[in-house]
Amino acid sequence: MLLNAVVIVLREVLEASLIISVFLALSQILNRSLKWMLLALVLGLISGFIYAGTISTVSMAFGGIGQEIVNATINILIFIALIIFVYAIPHQTNQRCRQLTVIAIMSTVILAIMREGSEVLLFITGFIGVPDLLGPVLMGGAVGAGLGVSVGVFIYYFIVNLIPRYGVWVGYLLLLLVAGSLMSQAVEFLIQADLLTSSEPVWNSSNIIDEHSVAGQLLFALLGYEATPQTSQVIAYICSMTALFCVAMFSFIKRDRN
Amino acid sequence: MKSIRLYLLLALLATITLVNFVSLLHGYQSSMQKAQNLFDSRLESTAILIASANSRQVGQETVTNQQTPYTFFQIIDDNGQLLTRSENAPDKVLGELEQGFHIINFGSYRWRNYVYRDTVLQRWVIVAERIDIRYMLAEDVVMESLLPIVMAIPVAALIIWFAVGIGLKPLNAFASQLSERRADDLRPIELERVPKELTTVVNNTNSLLLRLAEAFDREQRFSADAAHELRTPVSVLKVHLHNLRTRLGKDDEDIILLRDGVERMGHLIEQILALYRTSPDQAAVKFEHVDLFKMVQEIIARGYDAFESKQQEIELDGESHIIEGNVFALETLISNLLNNANKYTPEKGQIHAVVRRHEEGVLLRVEDSGPGIPEDQYQRVFERFYRLHGDQHNSGVVGCGLGLTIVKHIADLHHASIQLGTSAWGHGLRVDVIFPLRAVNYA
Repeated sequence: MLLNAVVIVLREVLEASLIISVFLALSQILNRSLKWMLLALVLGLISGFIYAGTISTVSMAFGGIGQEIVNATINILIFIALIIFVYAIPHQTNQRCRQLTVIAIMSTVILAIMREGSEVLLFITGFIGVPDLLGPVLMGGAVGAGLGVSVGVFIYYFIVNLIPRYGVWVGYLLLLLVAGSLMSQAVEFLIQADLLTSSEPVWNSSNIIDEHSVAGQLLFALLGYEATPQTSQVIAYICSMTALFCVAMFSFIKRDRN
Repeated sequence: MKSIRLYLLLALLATITLVNFVSLLHGYQSSMQKAQNLFDSRLESTAILIASANSRQVGQETVTNQQTPYTFFQIIDDNGQLLTRSENAPDKVLGELEQGFHIINFGSYRWRNYVYRDTVLQRWVIVAERIDIRYMLAEDVVMESLLPIVMAIPVAALIIWFAVGIGLKPLNAFASQLSERRADDLRPIELERVPKELTTVVNNTNSLLLRLAEAFDREQRFSADAAHELRTPVSVLKVHLHNLRTRLGKDDEDIILLRDGVERMGHLIEQILALYRTSPDQAAVKFEHVDLFKMVQEIIARGYDAFESKQQEIELDGESHIIEGNVFALETLISNLLNNANKYTPEKGQIHAVVRRHEEGVLLRVEDSGPGIPEDQYQRVFERFYRLHGDQHNSGVVGCGLGLTIVKHIADLHHASIQLGTSAWGHGLRVDVIFPLRAVNYA
């Protein structure tokens, strides 16, 4: 049980800590205040508790596919916030863009922590009535959270200690991966809800890296790895990364022309 | 990186957590495997024991007194006929009759069984255990050894925090010595124990401080020499001018212009020297206890002739207040304020000086009944060589536009604030200089 708990909590915490560490690092490189980030962390945790508390109601909505729809919506909203963030970053002399940056950072962090936090909470609270398993689950959760946060700390200091220009680009690269992963997951949720049709997997790499192994979960959190992705997921992954990249380039070119 | 201490704490803690937890997972997997092997060997022993203990069982019979709910046994003959079994065992053979370990499903659980071939009595003995219980028991044992590793992380965080704090003490001591120093303190920095990493920084800083002190010394000597060298020819010029006026016996217009020019030059030299000596970045300034009221009183007395010549009424109010300051600089500040009041206040005008307690420290106020300064010029009059109405200054008084700049420098040197305003007469200038509490000594 301990291993299962490690894998599940690690996956959720790693996803959230990746987003937070990239935003923290970019905020520091760009001399943005961190108070918004702290506020977003607190709000995200509160939202996570509320979401976990109302999950049964949410699940029953839309004819039993409420949770899938809400999760897909959260992912899409985070993706939109990332688009706004990469657009606004090069224009920090503009007051409106500065405000947009803060809004994008806060929205992303709140939504990410809300979703990942609620999933961890739901997993752990599911074992409250099983005393024999609660110990291993809590310990597994602590180990998974410790590993996830530690990786986040390393990513943060890695970006911060780079030359600022490279730090921004590494941060952008990680955000591209996050965007691809988010949209691929959003499509998966919609397929689970039967709102999109499923297809045969484009490839099957289970025999190389099992999706449910620790390595598979790490790759899932960092790159959005899926052992058997469907065509629509691959398309969503590539399109979302391309879209974010294009918006970032467009914004930098626009700033340089001005 | 905003804080070295925080960076070291987080980086070390993240490293310890990663390494420890990855080892923990590896150890967990190995320990679980060892525990499973132990359970398997116990299962095998149990099967042999059951075979020996049930050697006389020949018919189908159920044993009711020996099994826990999560283990069972069966004894089967070569024809697959069940000879005997525990009460909770299935009444038929599950899985293959082949010696060794197998996994079977029974009663909604997965079971690990061991099939034993009793070659003496030509029969099969099967002993099985529930897999989930085996895992739970194994996990219970392994968890006891893993718990301290997880619990050690917060303890490690606390130890790292204090250890890094101790390691950074010399750096903090170095920083606090630098930040607590007065601008005029250019002594070398002395640390009790300088770690290797800080040696270069401390040595270079001390060498820089030494060079700065030497440079300030040189500049001070230059200032004194320049003052002497410039004052003497101007004084000689004044004497010759006086002799010339006496010899000519009348105030020729050219002589008057010449006299004004020499006075202006003398004033300019004094002001430039005062500006240099009182500049906030001029470190060689010694502070001592000064009675501000008494100082104002003495300066008014010294310059009384100037007020008398213009028939001005000058009044000093307030009480004695001791502040910490530089005597020369404060005398220059007060003289400049009073000279300005004297120069720009018309004949028979009024000048009022006050030294009294203020909520933020001690207030020195000088106000006059002169023309004053327009409010929009309050900031500009502190600029060097700025004179109200520019070069077309029509007050007819000798000035160079440095008086209030010097006052500002001296105020900054004493961390005092300056406020300009309209005097009590409704048109003159009021200058308030507030010396802060920390510069005030009420003892």
